[in-house]
Amino acid sequence: MISQNATTRKVKGAGILLVGVLAFTAPGAQRVLADQNDRAHQIGAKLKCMCGGCDQSAAKCYHVGGQYSGPCDVAKQEIKEIDAQIAQGKSGDQVLQAMIAQYGPLAYVEPPKSGFGLVAWLMPILYLLAGTALVIVIMKRWRKRPAAVSTAAAAAAAAGGVQVTPELLARARELAQRETED
Amino acid sequence: MDVFGSFALILAFVCALYALGGGIAAIITRHPLLIKSARQSGMATCGLIFVSTLSLVYLFFSDNYSVAYVVSHSNRDLSTFFKVAALWSGQEGSLLFWSFLLAIYVFSVLFVYRNKNPELMPYVGVILAGVQLFFLTISNFVASPFKALGVANASGAFDLVARADGNGLNPVLQYPEMVIHPPNLYSGYTGFTIPFAFALAALLARYPGEKWIHLTRKWTMIAWCFQSMGILLGAHWAYAVLGWGGYWGWDPVENASLLPWLTGTAFLHSVMMQEKRGMMKVWNVWLVFLTFMLCILGTLLTRSGVVSSVHAFAQSNIGNWFVGFLCIVLGVCLAAYFKNRDYLKSENQLDSLVSRESSFLFNNLVLLVACVAVLSGTLFPVFSEWFTGSRISVGAPFFNKVNIPLGLLLLFLTGVGPLLAWRKTSTESLLRNFKGPSILGLVSGVIALALGLREMFSLICLILCAFVASTIVQEFYRGAKVVRVRTAADWLTSCVDLTLRNTRRYGGYIVHFGMVMIFIGLAGQAFNKEVEKEMPVGSTVKVGKYELLLQSMDQKQEKNYVAERMIVEVLQDHKPVMMLYPERRNFPTNQESGTMVAIYSTLREDLYVVYAGINPATNLPTIHAFINPLVKWVWWGGMVVVMGTIVALLPNRAAVVVLAKSEVPAGAPEVSGMRPAQIALREGHD
Repeated sequence: MISQNATTRKVKGAGILLVGVLAFTAPGAQRVLADQNDRAHQIGAKLKCMCGGCDQSAAKCYHVGGQYSGPCDVAKQEIKEIDAQIAQGKSGDQVLQAMIAQYGPLAYVEPPKSGFGLVAWLMPILYLLAGTALVIVIMKRWRKRPAAVSTAAAAAAAAGGVQVTPELLARARELAQRETED
Repeated sequence: MDVFGSFALILAFVCALYALGGGIAAIITRHPLLIKSARQSGMATCGLIFVSTLSLVYLFFSDNYSVAYVVSHSNRDLSTFFKVAALWSGQEGSLLFWSFLLAIYVFSVLFVYRNKNPELMPYVGVILAGVQLFFLTISNFVASPFKALGVANASGAFDLVARADGNGLNPVLQYPEMVIHPPNLYSGYTGFTIPFAFALAALLARYPGEKWIHLTRKWTMIAWCFQSMGILLGAHWAYAVLGWGGYWGWDPVENASLLPWLTGTAFLHSVMMQEKRGMMKVWNVWLVFLTFMLCILGTLLTRSGVVSSVHAFAQSNIGNWFVGFLCIVLGVCLAAYFKNRDYLKSENQLDSLVSRESSFLFNNLVLLVACVAVLSGTLFPVFSEWFTGSRISVGAPFFNKVNIPLGLLLLFLTGVGPLLAWRKTSTESLLRNFKGPSILGLVSGVIALALGLREMFSLICLILCAFVASTIVQEFYRGAKVVRVRTAADWLTSCVDLTLRNTRRYGGYIVHFGMVMIFIGLAGQAFNKEVEKEMPVGSTVKVGKYELLLQSMDQKQEKNYVAERMIVEVLQDHKPVMMLYPERRNFPTNQESGTMVAIYSTLREDLYVVYAGINPATNLPTIHAFINPLVKWVWWGGMVVVMGTIVALLPNRAAVVVLAKSEVPAGAPEVSGMRPAQIALREGHD
């Protein structure tokens, strides 16, 4: 009964702590998300800064060669162009396509999901699949393989009259120590 | 002094050449004097590199503008503090600085193990000398920092000249963190040379057992710790100086620093498989090789101009040297592996899929996939140019989409791995260990949903953070409970006692807790908010819960620059909270300018204010303000990671002697006021 009470107290304590942490972080985050309405910057985040000195997006360029650190002049100009096109009533996609038509496919901040650009997206998936397959193969091989120590012990047993020598005992102790700590 | 430094550098080259050649001869002949002379030559190489580096520092301090490197990176008004940073601010100096840090490691290793491991150390000495020789070749013959300033005359020859003043240091480098970030990062890069040398040496010498791992564990952790600090300090520098509101932009140079960190982290985990179970020997050796090669590749990316980067050094053909060196290293590693691979056979089997071994395998898988994905993404523009003739950009959105799921998977394994037993974990043990943390994780998710959190990755991240944090707390709680039963100490003392008894295990938990804090900080990125506005003096702009009032503008003249400042009052609910002074610094020496961001940081969010210059059309100052939630958790998490690593580096408290009162025969004399005690010797491990 005592331990049940103690457990209840712990769970309550942890719950209060958790609510505190989440209350501390989540509502602010939600409000910020709701306020996030700067379309020009959202579109600018999908386009590359075309200054030629960096691989940043127009919205998040921090190329140090600019007039001052943080969005360089070229990136700022792109954002202005996007702003102007939004003012003309174009949708996000239309603005994006107009900018790509103006600057070429190099203006995409991430590879397009078609043509050779698709390779960039497929590569990580391929790595994960190949890696997982490799791990599975390794695990299967490891499971099939008899352990070195147990093989030695089995060989000694097969030879008949197994003697637990001090060396064998010391080795077993060392193994047990190694495998159980941490 | 430039001649002196240059001479010391060429002498270092000669000594390194002898340490390499003499070392190889020593390995073949086994002659003790030859072994000793090769080692001492290696130590002399390090001493000469120290002398050469200090000479360059002296040239900066003494404003010697007859040396081209000093002219390019310093000026008379530059503060002494930043003259130190000027040492590594350019190509030539940073390569010498690399040699300098490597020399510290090499000298320490050669000195510490001078009378130990006689079978292994000659090989280690040769490998280290080989690496040093490469960098000394570059510093002596390709990119010398001591090159005199010259002007071409009519006959085409160069006349030596001296300038009255230098061009000054790049403004964005004139920030305190630039004095500590590169040394940390370079210490990480260079530090991985030591485990590489020991691993390759053990393979070449067919050195018995796991001794090379025991020998290099501390060196690997030191390098990893420096690399972690370097990455985080770089991120903080980018955040506080560059003024774009973020701290990680997946720039190729940032990626280059992350790659060896990922493989180094994988090695620190998988190495335990070899220590405890004699497994993954091939894997560990190749992880160390890979980590070292990624350090060199990172240097190649930074300096060759292969990929566009905001961090790029002056473009040069230096990249070809690094490609050559990388090919030699790979060739040597492959040759050593194929010659002696039978020595790396595994000793044990996998007993169960649900075991610590499996979790380490998956941990390594995720880290390696992340590493290869970042590497191929970084190099993809080059690949696309090769195959299609035009570059395809790979920017931050791509890296985020690929790495966020991998990061979350890794976070999950961070919680699961330590709670699984070696060899096999029973169902009861699984239930006992995971019930509480899983419930807490799910409850936290429900609460977050109820509070309106809808961003999927951030929600999963918060659930996993709660899960992992509670597994760590649970481990400390259980361990401390046992200690308390024995010692009757309070919880805090018991936790400290527990940690000191098994520093590696509990230091590791502290590192994991630091990573959880970093992930909490990263989760906040999804909710960043920004506003940019031209502001007449006296006007206000609202960002988040804060109102920013531009009180006035002013100018201040400093020794090396003129600062234009915005004086901004921060209000919350119409009540003043604090004053912020974002500024823009103009450096007359090199006609460049830089920002100084003003940040009001709390655990919940950062108010990040940038003075973005004056719009020439309206003559009005522009403010760029951000609300960045939870950023402070990243920096604090980083500090916890470093603390945990330091704890893990401490030696275990070997045994605890407990004095307990016992009955003493009547009439027995008391000694020093203390009753004779019954002494119980307890094991250091639980």
